Amino acid sequence: MAIMAIPAFLQGSTDLNVSGPNIIASFEIFGITIRFTETIVLEWIVMAVILGLCVFLTRNLKVNGVSKRQVIAEMAVEAITNLVRDTMGKSWLGFTPYIATIFCFSIFGSLLSLTGLRAVTSDFSVLATWAAITFILITATKIRFGGVGGYLKGFLDPIPVMLPINILSEVATPVAMALRHFGNIAGGSIIMGLVYFGLTGLSHLVKLQIPILTIGIPAVLSLYFDLFSDFMQAFIFIMLTMVFISNAAPPEDETQTA
Amino acid sequence: MGFLSIDLGTILFTLINTLILFFGIKHFLFQPVNKILEERRQAVDKTMQDAEDARTRAEQAEAEYAEKLADAKEESAEILRNATRKAQRRSDEIVTQAKEEAAGILQQNRDELEREMRRAESQLRSEVAELAVLAAEKVVEREINPEDHARLIDEFIDSVGDVQ
Repeated sequence: MAIMAIPAFLQGSTDLNVSGPNIIASFEIFGITIRFTETIVLEWIVMAVILGLCVFLTRNLKVNGVSKRQVIAEMAVEAITNLVRDTMGKSWLGFTPYIATIFCFSIFGSLLSLTGLRAVTSDFSVLATWAAITFILITATKIRFGGVGGYLKGFLDPIPVMLPINILSEVATPVAMALRHFGNIAGGSIIMGLVYFGLTGLSHLVKLQIPILTIGIPAVLSLYFDLFSDFMQAFIFIMLTMVFISNAAPPEDETQTA
Repeated sequence: MGFLSIDLGTILFTLINTLILFFGIKHFLFQPVNKILEERRQAVDKTMQDAEDARTRAEQAEAEYAEKLADAKEESAEILRNATRKAQRRSDEIVTQAKEEAAGILQQNRDELEREMRRAESQLRSEVAELAVLAAEKVVEREINPEDHARLIDEFIDSVGDVQ
């Protein structure tokens, strides 16, 4: 049917496959298979971008007569510091670099989908890792303020019958966080894939050899599914992390009087 | 790999990557920026402190000058008082001296006048005596002895004095 050959990159999205990250290599250590996936390489790209940006922005810092770069760096640091102070309280400011790390990693990892690569955050293992870190921090905070006994006794509150529900809610916290983030980003990428695939099919249906319909229309949807959703999910993830960790400790005025 | 799958390798590497990024962001972003922010805060504090110090110093200097000014005024008044007193004393001395001098001169003149008067009196007396002797010689045409002579003169003078 096609008289002239159309280059592959102009043919649009001709197939739709929903799959996880590709496995680049796998090796065995102590009988356990360790897979080295696409996601890790993408993480390295994201890390290189973030750290490069950090080094670039903080080059040649001055006390007076600051450059635009330095203003951006200072604003970023002050914004995240203020967010942590307002959400968690003054005594939790040590968490600021970690919160900033997750925030940057999540945003840049999600925005990676704009370049056509897989988003780092559409791999559930990544979100599971971050949620696990949050869970560990929550548990560590509870043990730090209540002791191991206090932590275990907390599962029997307010009545011992609540034990299964308490355990469930404890586990549900990180699982919900990870699934929410993963679902939004991965779901968004699936929807965008569907949109491209559908518009390509529609273009062919109206006898357009080159899928012109895929120009412009997906960008509108991409504003929500990529930009807005990415920022939103990163923000929600760090907010939940901060709130859960600071809630794991008794209120500030109680710790002062105790 | 499945779309929704949990992979141990990915978790492990992601954990390591997250830690590396954490330390990277801490070291390359937070530490330098917070250091600069702290330095700026200290610089602002120092400037404020310096301004406060300068103000305190200025106030001290002002008080010092006011005190000095008051001292100087008092001193000048003292000097003026001393000078006035000295001048007064000096003028009193001069007046007293002048008075004394004047009194001395007056006394001297008075003495001299008296002496003059006395001398004139004695001179007059001798001249009158001589005149009387001459007149008497002419009258009596003879020599009278000195005793009578003296007695006559005295009588004459006394009578002249009475007339006066």
